[in-house]
Amino acid sequence: MMETIAYLAPLLQPQVFGIIALGVLGGILIGALPGLTATMGVALLIPLTFGMSPVMGLNMLIGIYIGGIYGGCVSSILLRTPGTPASAATVLDGYPMAARGEAGRALGMATVASTIGGLIAAVVLATLAPQLAGIALKFGAAEYFALALFGLTIIASLSGDLLKGAISGVLGILISTVGADPIAGVMRYTFGIQGFASGFAFTPALIGLFALSEVFTQIERMAKQEPAVVLVKGRWPSRQDMRDSKGALVRGSLIGTLIGIIPGTGSGTASWISYNEARRSSKTPEKFGTGYAPGIAATESANNAVCAAALIPLLALGIPGDVVTAVLMGGLMIQGLAPGPMLFQTNPDVIVGIFGGTFLATIFMFVFGMALIPVFARILMVPRRLLTMSIVIFCYIGAFSINLNPVDLYTMVGFGVLGWGMQKFGFSQAALCIALILGPMMESNLRRGMLQTGDNILAFISGPITLFFLGLALFSLFGPVIARHLAQARIHKPN
Amino acid sequence: MKKAISLAALVAATLPGAALADFPVRPIQMIVPYAAGGSTDLTVRIVAETLERLYPGTTAVVRNQPGGGGGIGTSAAVNARSDGYTLGAGAQGPIAILPHLGGTDYSIDDVEFVGLYARSLQVMVACANAPFDDYDSFIASAAERAPQIGNSGAGGANHISAEAFAQAAGIAVESIPFGGSSEARTACIGGHIHAMVASPAEALSAVDSNQMTPLFVMEDERIDLFPETPTAVEKGVDFTWSSYKGIIAPKGIDDATLNWLRTAIADVVADPQFIEVMTEMGEFVTYEDGPAFEARVRRDGDMAHSVLDALDMLGVNN
Repeated sequence: MMETIAYLAPLLQPQVFGIIALGVLGGILIGALPGLTATMGVALLIPLTFGMSPVMGLNMLIGIYIGGIYGGCVSSILLRTPGTPASAATVLDGYPMAARGEAGRALGMATVASTIGGLIAAVVLATLAPQLAGIALKFGAAEYFALALFGLTIIASLSGDLLKGAISGVLGILISTVGADPIAGVMRYTFGIQGFASGFAFTPALIGLFALSEVFTQIERMAKQEPAVVLVKGRWPSRQDMRDSKGALVRGSLIGTLIGIIPGTGSGTASWISYNEARRSSKTPEKFGTGYAPGIAATESANNAVCAAALIPLLALGIPGDVVTAVLMGGLMIQGLAPGPMLFQTNPDVIVGIFGGTFLATIFMFVFGMALIPVFARILMVPRRLLTMSIVIFCYIGAFSINLNPVDLYTMVGFGVLGWGMQKFGFSQAALCIALILGPMMESNLRRGMLQTGDNILAFISGPITLFFLGLALFSLFGPVIARHLAQARIHKPN
Repeated sequence: MKKAISLAALVAATLPGAALADFPVRPIQMIVPYAAGGSTDLTVRIVAETLERLYPGTTAVVRNQPGGGGGIGTSAAVNARSDGYTLGAGAQGPIAILPHLGGTDYSIDDVEFVGLYARSLQVMVACANAPFDDYDSFIASAAERAPQIGNSGAGGANHISAEAFAQAAGIAVESIPFGGSSEARTACIGGHIHAMVASPAEALSAVDSNQMTPLFVMEDERIDLFPETPTAVEKGVDFTWSSYKGIIAPKGIDDATLNWLRTAIADVVADPQFIEVMTEMGEFVTYEDGPAFEARVRRDGDMAHSVLDALDMLGVNN
């Protein structure tokens, strides 16, 4: 115990304390700008950590990571532009709430939710890391396939029209097959264009799908002389919001923590699953998608919980769960520290320092987030026409800056037109987005599993984790149908 | 390309003798063909930082152009204007292997080799629950059932090295591609595959905590980090393989500028602070000048060609 306190002491040194604060603030700004992601922020600043002590350098990077994932919600809510893929789901309820003139309330809800998600996951990280890390090792091809399949069933409940939702989902899966075949390495549907060798770039596609399509819709509305008046008020979620969101917050944090531990899934998946779960268990599911606080609470608590949870397999097993933690692993190696079970014995000071830093960074995120809300929300006071044109510019900059690949601009514009058309004809953009995230995971694991088991399809319906997720998938698909059937039967009975 | 050469010639002709004294007057750009944060990216950033420190007034900017297994960024580097201000990170996959798969708009002949600054040594490791735990039991087990060897991507460097070893040793293996080396590592520690090719640095911590067991080293001689682990060569299999990190450029840079760049890389590699930071990261710092670097890449390219031929993957993307 005394040792633990001694290991935490370095966090209170002014430079360390300050550098974590600076990291979080920088991360928030990076995340809020579309096209700059937490990964880039962490990678670009790694050289700065060469001269720092391990605890100082790593906590700065973790601060950027936590701030960056949180910051993504800002442009999702205000501009319908997911700043990072992690907050694409926040668009669903955040943007309608902001469009109603309650941007402050939406950002406040997101900040509170991110903080709660982050803190719950940090507690799990600090107390149960070695015990839970084992989950990461249980996932083979069959388990990943079942998880992806379950994730895809969200489409059924998210899209009002089942047929149109299914069409969007299938389209998303087809789009995700463009690029190098994950198993054979052969190019598919690239038509000889080298820029598409890795498929459609994900963030440019998202920016087009959600942001540019909305710009088109806005321009249409302006042409019809319907200027949207946007006021900005408040910054705290109401008492009622918090009461409504209690369940969504707790479940979101736990879902985020669990998904965060599973390597290679990430905050995008977690926020969609959490959103779906909040909606499914809500007494008023029809309010989701209209600017309902629990919708924001569910996605933001989950994606920030992933941050701390992704550190669990990294520190306890030396397995990076996502791209950012892979970069963090590089940061640890530069300091001469190899993450893994041995690190807990050889460098407990670093481990405890990182645990403490994660808490500290989450608290800084809350303070800065709350303080910056009025500043961010002021963006909406820019006249609509100017704002719309600036979003277009940001769409281009964001789409290009990720890979510096000109082909990504075509991707962004193409998805913008696609998204606009889908919106116009009632197809779910969210369904397409989910399929883009989970399609590649499902395909590569299905094929890898077939390769490893000599084409034995039975391997995909064995093992407790696989069966658990397949069961969830069935429940998620047929649960609503059965419930509706029962409800109808009850209505018909009195007659 | 031709245009770029004539442009460089024109500049060289109009400014006789000025090139040496005046280079560099603008920032030097280094294109990394992978996303920020990977080991190639991090080491190029260290090279850039060292270059700026050793040559005050020089600015070196790292630019990431990921995608297409490194092909997109490498293409951008070798097709850039040949004035010495645009360089590229020369990674094994995109220069020695990818052109054989097809679909690239460059080949080894389009690359100017500036200098190699590090090699990444390779160790074959047995994963959790594998039915073998040293070289001999690995070979014996492979005779009964082809071991599943994970790699970081189909047609990537460690796919080729595992298959090349199998060819040289006369055993059969089943290559299992993953989306990147950390996915393969996760599957290995979780016991979902039998073996994989790892760098000594990433293998060391896993070996210390019994997550992996080293089988053999792909070098001529045993290495310091794993003194107990044999090489394939001493087991009678004529096979060595290592990945590398170097600096490349487009063809057609004038001699004075190219000499400046080559000397600069040599100075960077000799810098004690550079060596220290790189070694901490688990890189094996070593210097090879342009011609030696080129010879190494061509040797790898030939081996990759024969492996891909056997796998029926030659020119699949043409």
